[in-house]
Amino acid sequence: MIKKIKASRSEKIIFIFIIILALFSFGSFILIKDKCLFVKNYDPQKISFNNPKNIAILNVDCGNVIIELYPDISPKAVERFKRLVKSEAYNDIAFHRVIKDTLVQAGDLEFGKKGNLNYGKIGTGKSGLGTINSEIDAPFSFNKGSVGLVRTQKYNTEDSQFFIILRDEPLYETEYTPIGKVIYGLEALEKIKYLDKSQYVLRPDFINSLKMLIN
Amino acid sequence: MNLIRLIILSLFVFTQTQADTIYNLIKIPNLEIYDIKTPNKLRYLYAKQPFTLGVDNNISCYNSEKKILDQKYKVIQKNLNRYNQNFLKKINLKYIVLCEDLSISKINTAGIPDNIMKTLILDIKFNEDYFERVIHHEVFHIINDNFKDIFSKKIWSSFNNEEFEYAKCSTCTDKLGLDTYTNTKGFFSEYSQSTASEDMAEVFSHLMIGVNLKNLDPILEKKIDFIKSNLLKIDNNFIL
Repeated sequence: MIKKIKASRSEKIIFIFIIILALFSFGSFILIKDKCLFVKNYDPQKISFNNPKNIAILNVDCGNVIIELYPDISPKAVERFKRLVKSEAYNDIAFHRVIKDTLVQAGDLEFGKKGNLNYGKIGTGKSGLGTINSEIDAPFSFNKGSVGLVRTQKYNTEDSQFFIILRDEPLYETEYTPIGKVIYGLEALEKIKYLDKSQYVLRPDFINSLKMLIN
Repeated sequence: MNLIRLIILSLFVFTQTQADTIYNLIKIPNLEIYDIKTPNKLRYLYAKQPFTLGVDNNISCYNSEKKILDQKYKVIQKNLNRYNQNFLKKINLKYIVLCEDLSISKINTAGIPDNIMKTLILDIKFNEDYFERVIHHEVFHIINDNFKDIFSKKIWSSFNNEEFEYAKCSTCTDKLGLDTYTNTKGFFSEYSQSTASEDMAEVFSHLMIGVNLKNLDPILEKKIDFIKSNLLKIDNNFIL
């Protein structure tokens, strides 16, 4: 005959503690693994826009980033950007330069394509359309979420690369050509992969797609 | 107490990140924004910590006490506000770096202009007596670097007496005095006699601070005309 043994009070406490610890560990594992867990994914079809022709949808792993373009401020730069978006040139292009909480940069069409990354040259690639002139004279506040075209140390060298800033950068005004601002979904960009010791990212995240709301 | 620590820590984090942005733009480390909301859009930065740059780090400058910085900034801004935004754009000047004890290869200097990076580094403690004039002197070097063809050294040198020769460089001579001559003889100061570009900068800076133009010698009159007419070629609204 098996004698039933009652668990003591302290044994019950230890048992409950182990259960809670297991739940906590399991929960943490899920949270750590899913970097997009608390990132809201915006559906552009459910949002009404004042000027839908100037809305671009950047899709990344954590959701949609909705960008309003400003052709009145930088007509040539926005025209170039739209042209590349409409030709789907930005799809599968790396976020090759990322500075935590500061900016993400992408758009190297030559050396930043998924499956054909060139780490030695990434950031120097061209679109094949030539460079365009900087459009930096109009007043523009480079607040968090602003989108601008990348250039070299010289002006008038903008091409296909663009950056999105994750904090206010007042010194960028009159330095870089602005093309628009993120109006929804900036949180998704804060989850883009970065490295602590380098601005250039090894095995970077990619743009899934970048398209205009209305083609 | 913890709140104060948190505030200090957050300030430190903020300043570090701004320094990174500034470094990316003008390649000078350890700088912070002093004032960027200026009427002519000049951006004033200051050394938060000492910095070195250049070949073999031969350029160095040190941070200043805030009190001195605040005092000198008023003087610097008052003088640089005389250049409008349009003119500054033409001469490629956008950033003013404020620091003290500026030296290049261990030789103290009032300023280091870099028209490529659109930057002028100013030693805010350089020569208290002629501080305002020195500011304009350094601005002229930026102008000169952008318009070398206009400010021809050959034409300039031809204004001097035939027997006069400038030194090979501004640091290759001991003619460093900045006192304004009462009897000019073709030059405003001893330093004017070092090189053609320093001579031009001295003429320009004397004009900017409003030197008495009566009783000047014919050589200096030619030099003044040369500077004035060439400045109008750059910007026909420029007022001396």
